[in-house]
Formats: sequence, C-alpha cells, structure tokens
Amino acid sequence: MLDRPESSGSGDRVPLSDLFIGFLKVSLSGFGGGLVWARRAVVEQQQWMGEQEFAETLTLCQLMPGPNIVGITVCVGAKLRGAIGAISAVAGFILVPWTVGLTIGGIVLRNAEIAVLQNILGRLSASAAGLLIGTGLRLLTPHRSRRTALLFAGLAFAGMAFTSLPLPIVLLALAPISIAVAGLESARAR
Amino acid sequence: MNSSSATLVLAAHLAVLSSISFGGFPTVLPDVHDFAVAKGWVTDQEFANFFAVSQVTPGPNMILMMSFVGLKVGGIPAAIAAALATFVPPCAMYYLSYRLWDRFRDLPWQRIVRRGLAPLTVGLVIAGGYVMARSAAIGWQSVAITAAAMALMLGTRLNPLWILTAGGALGGLGLL
Repeated sequence: MLDRPESSGSGDRVPLSDLFIGFLKVSLSGFGGGLVWARRAVVEQQQWMGEQEFAETLTLCQLMPGPNIVGITVCVGAKLRGAIGAISAVAGFILVPWTVGLTIGGIVLRNAEIAVLQNILGRLSASAAGLLIGTGLRLLTPHRSRRTALLFAGLAFAGMAFTSLPLPIVLLALAPISIAVAGLESARAR
Repeated sequence: MNSSSATLVLAAHLAVLSSISFGGFPTVLPDVHDFAVAKGWVTDQEFANFFAVSQVTPGPNMILMMSFVGLKVGGIPAAIAAALATFVPPCAMYYLSYRLWDRFRDLPWQRIVRRGLAPLTVGLVIAGGYVMARSAAIGWQSVAITAAAMALMLGTRLNPLWILTAGGALGGLGLL
C-alpha cells in the first residue's frame, strides 16, 4: 500500500479560491480529453497530488457512478480542504462554463431551424456520436483477450441499443452475473 | 403535464440515472433519450442538437446537455434542476467514498467488482454512441461522418475537437 504523499508546496492550507480557479481552468480547457488537463493541473502545475495518488484517485472515481472528471474535482477538493474544498472545486468546474454554455447554447438552439445551422448541428452530432463509439472501442482493447468480457460488453450494448429496457434493469440483470464470472475466473487463475 | 410537475419528473429521473451512471454520463444517454422522447418533451432532432452543442462546449458537457433538456421542459428553473440532479448525487457519492478510501482500497473483492463492471461500462458507452448516431442519422452522409469520426478516433491521436470541427464544417458548407 502506498502512503499518501504529503501535499507538497508550502504546507499551508490551500485557499478555496485557488481550488475554484484551478478547476475553472481545467473545465475551460477540457474540450476532448478532460482527463489530460486535470492531470496536468493537479499533478504538474499545482502539485496538489502525486502521480501515484492521482492514478489511485482516478481508479476510485471510475468505480463510482458519474462523470470521472467531476469525481477527481471532488476528491482533490476534499483532500485539501474537506467538504467546503470539494464544493469550491466543483463550483469552479461547473458554474462559469455552465452559465456561458447554457446562454450561448440556448441562443443557438432557438435558431436551430435555420438551414445552415441545422446542417452544422446534424453533422456535429454525427461526428460526436462517432467519437463516442470510437472511445468505447478503445476502452475495449485491454479486455480483448477475455472472451467473457467481450460477451458482457456485447450484452450491455445490445441491451441498451436494441431493446427499450431502462438502464437500471439492464445493469441489475448483467452486473451480478458479470461480477460473479470475473470472481470465478480470478479464483481459477489463483 | 404542467411544466413544474414535468420539471420534478425530469429531475427525479435524472437523479436516479446519475446515481447509477457507472462509466460516466454517456452510458445513460440512451435511457434519457427514450424517456424524454416518449414523454413528448423533445424530438429526436432536438435531442441530437443538444448533443451536438454540448459536445463542442468546453466544461461539463453532459451536465449542460441535460440542462438543455430541462430548458425545453420548463425554462431556466428546470435547466438548473436538471443540472443539479445530474451532478449532485454523484458528487455526494464521490465525497463519501473518498472519505472511506483506505477501507475501500483494502477490500479484496474490489478488483473483482472492477473486472466485472468494466466490460458493461464499455458496452454502455458504445451503445450511447450508437443511439446518438441513430438519432443524428439523416441520410447516408451522417452515417459516413459517424464512421469517419469513429475511425479517426480509433486510428489517430488527433484532438477530437478537430474531428468535430471538420464534421460541422462539412455540414455548414453543404459539402456533405
């Protein structure tokens, strides 16, 4: 087990405004790969966490529901300043970008009837969908060699894409079996 | 349904979904899509538009996308309610689990649970992309763009923003 590294820097309490502004920057720069920017800010620039601790935190966040980047934001804030730190960091991450996005996006969407805009939005949406599928396929590559993993990925895909079952049902049906199979496999490997 | 009860229904639904959105919010997109379209709140086309606009906006794009659904359902109050329902439940869970971190990390079944959940997460992400592609698909051009974006994502390390820009530009210039 790794000891949690002491927070580097002066050792004084990090001001809440630093958390707010730090994660506001991460949020604004995080177009495609939000994770890249979060690591850069937290590990390299602010040195709020060590490399190892950041990786462990990310794993924790991936185990939990919700957007992973927001999870990192909460954990860094909580580590440095407790609950109020987590709130400041999340506020920095969400408040300004959300307000600006809702305002500008709202105007664009209200004029979505305009033919040119409709074309742009349609093709943007098609490209974004392709990126999402590509990201999913990339995430699948580490599991390539496990046939059962591919099976369960396929089942989850089919359950959501081709049936009208709600997500909770699909997850509740598949998760226990998938976890049990993973347990059996690792018991046999041992 | 009047707009304030619709707001409550939407917020409650999003709060449940965000609490089980393992692998991030794109995994629950198909569910939100079916729910909002079935209620008659948004059309396929509008949902695809929300996706497009939120994906080219920096910052918390899924929170923003759910707010666009809220905006349509009940104006600014509903947009705020949708945003809160999308990020508050996961944030509370992140916070609590971070507090339990050390105990959490030592449990031997943690790796097994992760191995079991990971493939499901991946399948759901791909399903999210597939459902969005289907609702954006007007003609073969959309399908071609989706396929090209997917191939570029898989085959290159290109910044996704360029891929989105290229897709939007093709549409704007009327080339595809």
